[in-house]
Amino acid sequence: MKLHLKIWRQKGPQDSGAFKDYSVDNASEHMSFLEMLDFLNTSLVQKGEEAVQFDHDCREGICGSCSLVINGNPHGPETGTATCQLHMRKFKDGDTIVIEPFRAKAFPVIRDLCVDRRAFDRIMEAGGFCSVNTGNAPEANAILIGKETAEKAMDSAACIGCGACVAACKNASAMLFVSAKVSQLALLPQGNPERGHRVRNMVAQMDKELFGACSNTGSCEAACPKEIKLENIARLNREMVRATLVE
Amino acid sequence: MLDSKIPSGPIEQKWKNRKFESNLVNPANRRKHTVIVVGTGLAGASAAATLGEQGYRVKVFTFHESPRRAHSIAAQGGINAAKNYQNDGDSVYRLFYDTIKGGDFRSREANVYRLAEVSVNIIDQCVAQGVPFAREYGGTLTNRSFGGTQVSRTFYAKGQTGQQLLLGAYSSLMRQSGQKSVEIFSRHEMVDLIVVDGKARGIIARNLVTGELTSHTADAVILATGGYGNVFFLSTNAKQSNASACWRAHKRGAYFANPCFTQIHPTCVPVSGDYQSKLTLMSESLRNDGRVWVPLKAGEKRAPGDIPENERDYFLERMYPAFGNLVPRDIASRAAKRMCDEGRGVGSTGLSVYMDFRDAIQRLGQATIAEKYGNLFQMYEKITDENPYQVPMRIFPAVHYTMGGLWVDYNLMSSIPGLFVAGEANFSDHGANRLGASALMQGLADGYFVIPYSIANYIGGTKLSPIKNDHESAKATMAESQTRLEALMKAKGGQSVDQLHRKLGKIIWDKCGMGRNEAGLKEAMGSIQKLKEEFANDVRIPGDNQLNSELEKANRVADFLELGELMCLDALERKESCGGHFREEMQTPEGEALRDDKNFSHVAAWEFTGKTPKLHKEELVFENIHLAQRSYK
Amino acid sequence: MGLEIEFKNLSGYPIGQSNWKQASYTMMKCKSFLGSSVGQKFLVAITGLGLSGFVLTHMLGNLLLFVGPNAYNLYGHKLTSTPLIYVAEVGLIVLFLTHLGLTMKLTRENRASRPLAPHQLPSNVVKRASFASRTMALSGLMILAFAVLHLVTFKFGTYYETTVDGVPMRDLYRLVAEEFQKEWYTAFYLVCMVILFTHLSHGFTAAFQSLGLQSSRNKLLKRAGLAFAVLVGGGFFIQPLYMYFWGGN
Repeated sequence: MKLHLKIWRQKGPQDSGAFKDYSVDNASEHMSFLEMLDFLNTSLVQKGEEAVQFDHDCREGICGSCSLVINGNPHGPETGTATCQLHMRKFKDGDTIVIEPFRAKAFPVIRDLCVDRRAFDRIMEAGGFCSVNTGNAPEANAILIGKETAEKAMDSAACIGCGACVAACKNASAMLFVSAKVSQLALLPQGNPERGHRVRNMVAQMDKELFGACSNTGSCEAACPKEIKLENIARLNREMVRATLVE
Repeated sequence: MLDSKIPSGPIEQKWKNRKFESNLVNPANRRKHTVIVVGTGLAGASAAATLGEQGYRVKVFTFHESPRRAHSIAAQGGINAAKNYQNDGDSVYRLFYDTIKGGDFRSREANVYRLAEVSVNIIDQCVAQGVPFAREYGGTLTNRSFGGTQVSRTFYAKGQTGQQLLLGAYSSLMRQSGQKSVEIFSRHEMVDLIVVDGKARGIIARNLVTGELTSHTADAVILATGGYGNVFFLSTNAKQSNASACWRAHKRGAYFANPCFTQIHPTCVPVSGDYQSKLTLMSESLRNDGRVWVPLKAGEKRAPGDIPENERDYFLERMYPAFGNLVPRDIASRAAKRMCDEGRGVGSTGLSVYMDFRDAIQRLGQATIAEKYGNLFQMYEKITDENPYQVPMRIFPAVHYTMGGLWVDYNLMSSIPGLFVAGEANFSDHGANRLGASALMQGLADGYFVIPYSIANYIGGTKLSPIKNDHESAKATMAESQTRLEALMKAKGGQSVDQLHRKLGKIIWDKCGMGRNEAGLKEAMGSIQKLKEEFANDVRIPGDNQLNSELEKANRVADFLELGELMCLDALERKESCGGHFREEMQTPEGEALRDDKNFSHVAAWEFTGKTPKLHKEELVFENIHLAQRSYK
Repeated sequence: MGLEIEFKNLSGYPIGQSNWKQASYTMMKCKSFLGSSVGQKFLVAITGLGLSGFVLTHMLGNLLLFVGPNAYNLYGHKLTSTPLIYVAEVGLIVLFLTHLGLTMKLTRENRASRPLAPHQLPSNVVKRASFASRTMALSGLMILAFAVLHLVTFKFGTYYETTVDGVPMRDLYRLVAEEFQKEWYTAFYLVCMVILFTHLSHGFTAAFQSLGLQSSRNKLLKRAGLAFAVLVGGGFFIQPLYMYFWGGN
């Protein structure tokens, strides 16, 4: 298949950046989206042009490295799919595809399509953990957790920290990411001792990183490659109220 | 002779004895000591977090943007532990026995016993961190079975166990980072090891964003940088997984052990075209319910659903009735290859076999299967556009794990004092074949429970003079790195790094993959020599020294080329078949691997000399387990 | 001796310290809550629901227009002659200003979080997020403008007098009837009611999510939100229409 690509090229954080046009002939519809970019890069390199920089690693939709806003959609048009799992068979011969980085104040562009998502790490640093030192854990089966609770926690824990929720939100809000972590640990008894501090500190850090507030539009949920649910955000809000009033 | 420093006493006492004999570092003194951890997968993150908790000053390096992206995250199936929650006859001793046997008697007894022993603590630790393992209705933890065992000892979190365990370790690491006991250098790659007076004293790191080289000195260095499966180009490893940290350490004096022991995983999505960038694993847990088969006749053209029961060959169940579809990985892979060699492979390439869930869906219902494997089925459908609830999955073996790695003693210290190696990067626990769900176990065992003792023992028992970042050796090492990078940038050839890497991968897969023989290996070594020259002259790296994926790849592929050659040499030298290493000259009449315990019951540790590598042997002593031909029949 | 129950201290802060410390801890918690985006959205939701309650009762009261001039004027008279009206008015102003002030602040911050021209927004936002949810700030500002005009026209508009059952009172009905004889005014009013409808259709549901009570994905809640918006918007919509066609005589 033949494709026209409009790819965002930006030298560095200070550069203003612009779209550049490329065309790819002979792409296969069985290629993954990133393989199509590899294919483009090989031809660029052979011509002595700089390869397009993009983040990727596992290419199985779990490491959360890949990003890209494809035709206006974080991770492309398919629901519940990360960019690396997207295949060219979802596009048509002759399509024009616009490829941009994730855009948010809190995610500065490093180069081309690579952005810096370490703000998420700092939010995790603020409270996304159970304080347990190695060696002082109780016997695993001493903590009983109902199957349904465990599964609910697992659904929240499935977040891969890719940042698509931020990229999809008109406010660049990180609420879905933060709420997924808060939910996981709020649902489990292990998270109980630090429940209030956790949510307070993580939200404070989120605000400090200049992510926007939640407008409850639901775009994040629609863009999430792991289909993390909006109810997590409701739970986060509840946890904040609880941390203030109940504790 | 290599000294593996195995503690004295009966096997059950060895680890206890070592812990008691170990030197310690006073809590108040720990913050005076800097420890560098390279890599933030299960082993690296858990080691760094634990050392941080204990009070050391820890510097962590990862080439990823965040520690959470390390490739441990992609492990699907589960983690073994000898909890015996299912009351089905499991014990520390049985896990130890299964692992030694599964590894085809090429691993060190004492290490494996310790691994089995601490496996139970790992589960406790992870649960306390909030890892949402699968549970029974009553609230207790549940288990599933994995290949090579007859008990249910695998703990899991859907098909994302690696992710959940890594996020657990990562959260502990972030907690330490918040408390400033750990400093994280993300998008930093180790490019060399600083050795002073024969001891590892730091690393040279390259900031991948700015291209700047910096030196970081320390009292000990821990490499937890994963395996080298990407030598093959196509593997289930993440695209950026690489062997450079280990290889650079090897070139500074760390021995590389058993490089030819690579694991070919039987259940991967088959290759679809020559543009393919990587292979995707389908968890081994699928073999609990999926039945593997090929058509009875060669050249079968009918759709799988049209082939009647009596014209199907469930070859694993036929050949290995006791373990059936759950034989160890090396055996399942070789059996699948044999079927394809006989012309009974399926799919357009003829290079795949069916894994069929029809019977399981009939027995348990689609909902139960979806609950167990839903995300894996979905993943398969995304890649292949085929619905595995309706048509059988097509699978084929792919490179998945490397049992070989830097040689370490019982304390996980390499042949360079002060350089420790943890997780897949070392060679220690899996012998010639790793059992499913044991990689996560080993990574966390090393990081949480072994490395902290080893570091205390080393720092507490070694005179370490203070060292600054601008020490003479650091400067010299940095200059060498600079020169190497500049040389790479200078080449103005016509091929991209990937093109050259694919060529290397093809050589190794064809000649040093599932089947190896003397002529092929010799030929491969010649081809690699030529490819090295081609790489030096014809690689092209456009762009600058800042964030540049081409430069990163070139830097890594240069090392893969050298490592690939050593793999072939090791495979050539080991004139026996064992585990994942199958020398076609050495097989039983039924085509099973034929070991030669008399001549090859040793670890082959290679020393880098600049010319022909020098072989050091560590004899393996089996005091507890009787050496026997593996049988899963 | 009776059993002593030891309460689990979940906060991590020692219990049983001096009251002063407890009080300052509570202060700290409130400050951190109200200082956070989540806390501010909580206030927006609370005030939004309060205002929703107001528009609902306002709409219901105005249904007396259908009964006739006397009923309507009597209702207006009763409402304004109790001193409680001042308390209610102050409350309403506080609700309104809090809602307005906080949303303006948050909107500014949200814009700064994504410093881009609107055309660069991922089309995903356009596709997946409802029109109403994307335009809350705009619809809110339009409602503000409308409210001001509305007060000027009616509350501070011409004071006609009438007597009902011998009691002199304001003839608000006459003013309403007069105003809605103007086509342009009626049309403008109707447009504003559609805007109010869109604002409520997202806002009512979203408030429950911001309060942490229920996910705004909940089907029942979504329907309730829509029903509420239809009720209030629709109720306000038919009143000017009625007055335009039948209010003149």
